[in-house]
Amino acid sequence: MINLQDMRDTARNMLAKNEVRGVIGYRRSTNGMLAEPVVITKPEQADELIWDPTCFHNLSLYLVEDRKFLAHTRAKADLPIAIIAKGCDARSTVVLMQENYFERKDVYIIGVSCEGTGVLDERKLVKKGIRATNSAFDGDDFVFTTEQGEQRIPAREVMADRCLECRECFPKEHNIVLGEDKTGRQLDAPFTALKRFEELDPAARWEFWDHQFERCIRCFACRSVCPMCYCDECIVDSTSFPVTGQTTADEKANRVKWIERSATRAENMTYHMTRVLHLAGRCIDCNECERVCPVNIPLRLLNNKMEREAREQFGYEPGASIGGPSLTASFLDTDPGKFIR
Amino acid sequence: MTKKRTGVFVCHCGNNIAATVDVKKVAEAMSNEENVVASEDYVYMCSDPGQNAVLQSIKDNKLDSVVISCCSPNLHEKTFRDNAKRAGLNSFTCEIANIREQCAWVHKDKAVATEKAIKISRSAVRRAGRDQALEPIAVPVTRKVLVIGGGIAGIQAALDIANAGLKVILVEKLATIGGHMLQLSETFPTLDCSQCILSPKMVDVSRHENIELMTYSEVQEVNGSVGNFQVKIKQKPSYVDPELCKICDDCAAVCPVVVPNEHDLGLTARRAIHIPFAQAIPASYTLDENACLGLNPVRCGKCKDACDVGAINYDMLPKTVTEEVGAIVVATGYDLYAQEHMNELGGGQIDDVLDGLQFERLCSASGATKGHVLRPSDRTVPKDVVFIQCVGSRDPANHCAYCSKICCMYTAKHASLYKHHVPDGRAYVFYIDIRSGGKGYEEFVQRIMEEDEAIYLRGRVSKLYRKDGKVRVLGTDTLTGQNVEIDADMVVLALAMEPSKGTADIAKTLKIGRDKDGFLAEAHPKLKPVESVTAGIFLAGCAQGPKDIPETVSQASAAAAKVIGLLSQPTLSHAPTVAKVRNSHCTGCEMCVTACPYNAISLENGKALVNEVLCEGCGSCSATCVRSAIEVKNTTGLQIQEMIEACLA
Repeated sequence: MINLQDMRDTARNMLAKNEVRGVIGYRRSTNGMLAEPVVITKPEQADELIWDPTCFHNLSLYLVEDRKFLAHTRAKADLPIAIIAKGCDARSTVVLMQENYFERKDVYIIGVSCEGTGVLDERKLVKKGIRATNSAFDGDDFVFTTEQGEQRIPAREVMADRCLECRECFPKEHNIVLGEDKTGRQLDAPFTALKRFEELDPAARWEFWDHQFERCIRCFACRSVCPMCYCDECIVDSTSFPVTGQTTADEKANRVKWIERSATRAENMTYHMTRVLHLAGRCIDCNECERVCPVNIPLRLLNNKMEREAREQFGYEPGASIGGPSLTASFLDTDPGKFIR
Repeated sequence: MTKKRTGVFVCHCGNNIAATVDVKKVAEAMSNEENVVASEDYVYMCSDPGQNAVLQSIKDNKLDSVVISCCSPNLHEKTFRDNAKRAGLNSFTCEIANIREQCAWVHKDKAVATEKAIKISRSAVRRAGRDQALEPIAVPVTRKVLVIGGGIAGIQAALDIANAGLKVILVEKLATIGGHMLQLSETFPTLDCSQCILSPKMVDVSRHENIELMTYSEVQEVNGSVGNFQVKIKQKPSYVDPELCKICDDCAAVCPVVVPNEHDLGLTARRAIHIPFAQAIPASYTLDENACLGLNPVRCGKCKDACDVGAINYDMLPKTVTEEVGAIVVATGYDLYAQEHMNELGGGQIDDVLDGLQFERLCSASGATKGHVLRPSDRTVPKDVVFIQCVGSRDPANHCAYCSKICCMYTAKHASLYKHHVPDGRAYVFYIDIRSGGKGYEEFVQRIMEEDEAIYLRGRVSKLYRKDGKVRVLGTDTLTGQNVEIDADMVVLALAMEPSKGTADIAKTLKIGRDKDGFLAEAHPKLKPVESVTAGIFLAGCAQGPKDIPETVSQASAAAAKVIGLLSQPTLSHAPTVAKVRNSHCTGCEMCVTACPYNAISLENGKALVNEVLCEGCGSCSATCVRSAIEVKNTTGLQIQEMIEACLA
């Protein structure tokens, strides 16, 4: 079990000794039961930190935000920033470092092993009508504290899909780590949900996605929450074209508009397809995009599909090593595509 | 869209395009396109009058860009760009719309093909609309050449280049140059002694002031591009100082290790310390470290004790040198297709079944039997010898699909040599066809059949097996329709030629392509037969495809001429259509750096930086970049988008 006091002490000590600028972690939200992200910068704030099954956010997003803030304010950061990272969050931090977004010395990873607990899925809770003030995991079931008393629910019923299929709940890349290196409980084999979906025939799948993309309102929440979507100018959104001092008139005139802004089905589909391709070999299945989608588009199926292709075709695991080659930029002599060899 | 004055010129290519595409209609459709101020068609645009028409139109209509709808840019892009330049345009504002290979040749329906040709031409017009005027990049040239492979092809190329005054580094994998030609006894069709004609050339190589010979060496790494390659060569230690070695044979006499001799294809044995053959260049012994008991005076050390001049040094280390060269000739040669693959013919397990090169060593005066044809199993004179052609060749189902080209000739030569050695013996030749195209070749084969009375049987051999001390050959004579059984004393297989072992690795190191059979691919089968697909790298000899000695020598000289021509220029011009980084968009993720096959991109101050001399404009970086921060000049994202739109319109 993770000792919360250890986590708080670690954060407090590092801030007190001025070893880090701040600690990105979780605190209790005003909602009551759920956690929310927080950045603490003073030792006395350390007691705000929490750890429970509602800590589902991928905090590596805030490492990106931190970099952007530093760049924007032209501030210099001498100290690293610390992050509480689950197995999955640590992997996305690795991808960011693999892409040189920041260096290893810029970040202090306080790894937290889920130890197979997994995190909750908000939507599954809502569906079950659970209104609790606290949640915990007792080894088999999730235990919720409600006004009526304790309520136990089997893990499978409320656990996030990605945790059901989790294959690495221990943060391999870390400075210190809390909890043990236990393999995930892995209630389901990896890609189970995808496999189930692929049993549908192509026509049914086409109809399914047709319907899903029809509903997308292009709020770009998926892009905003994704730690990998850190580009200043997104290829799908020409209105965000950054006009800086260096932008030439020619560049402004010649910007390419591959995708229109209008939220029509075809444009939405192009947007999501482009995003999926740009995440190939980079997405580590934190599934934040699907969590924040206001119209519940099952984006995980798309990202999982790319992940499985990369794994089966090239044995590629995103977020495995900082120095390793990236999927789309590297080439293998054993490439299964004969045409390329 | 920018305002341009573009001219479109549609070529009929005789009937090549005009038969499937309504060229008049294409020209007419183009005249209605935005920016197009002139649109014409002509029967052969690449001919002198055709090019003049383009030239005249550029002047008359004050064109600032040109689109030629014709064949592949591979063929005539340079022709038309040079022509545009003559008319005073920047050559990079001339675009090719490929309506031949990508349209006329692959379609039958004229209406559909015409519509497609219009779309292809229109997209080229759009692309030309945003073409920038670019100036070629001048690149300095290193006047030094690397030749890989020390067989007859490499020797000939090295000598020709060195005689023109250029420095040459000749790299050979084995301890001596000479290659397979030195294993041959006599050469067809004149039957002159192979060693007698090759040895003087080998000596020339060793004495030539412009040739640096690196034997026992392999090319490990090649970077850079035409005019300026950086090559890393690793030389294995021979443990013998060639300067001191007197070739006295005292060391080999005391060496206790006996291993098969590769030069005699295992028909004889050699010691761990050995000289490959008497005429070896460099003339020195070599200690085979894999066979040696341990390069250690405690373990053995006999050779070192025996050497009076102290030429043997167990502490010699591998040497790696880095050289700058302007061009590379690849002459890595062939190997015989392994007998082990031929299960129906014994798979190399039957005694007295030899391959062609082994038979050469039997006939050779310097070979295993000192020039007497004796069968290996019992050293008796074979009276019935069966020669089988096309072993492994021309068999797409099981082995190699191609014809190895030289086997008809060398089998005839073998039969002849045999009959000269054993006049009362019988030589049987199983063949499918006799392919004897070449000067004096057909006459040679006829002479073997008529004067030497070799028995030619048209048919294949189905099985070989050992019976009563002989090799039973089961075959058919398809001309008489009879089955044939011969009890042979010896069987010689004319095995197919395949690219030498390591060809795949060298192709990868050099980043040059291979064809479907694994031979190195030429840039164009007819017009660029000695150029590889990578500029500055040339091919010679059997590495490019099966060929005989005269053809190999011709190709080596041709490659040498190409190299001399290339390096006679003071500077080379490099295409300016290279990658360009938009710094404001670059996040320094380094994906382009790893994706670049030419090592042309580095990271400078957190942004990608393109070395324009190394960049070949392939676009791998641009395809990898998710941020559109890197694009190839004149193939920008905007141009691609407009071309797609033009095709969809």
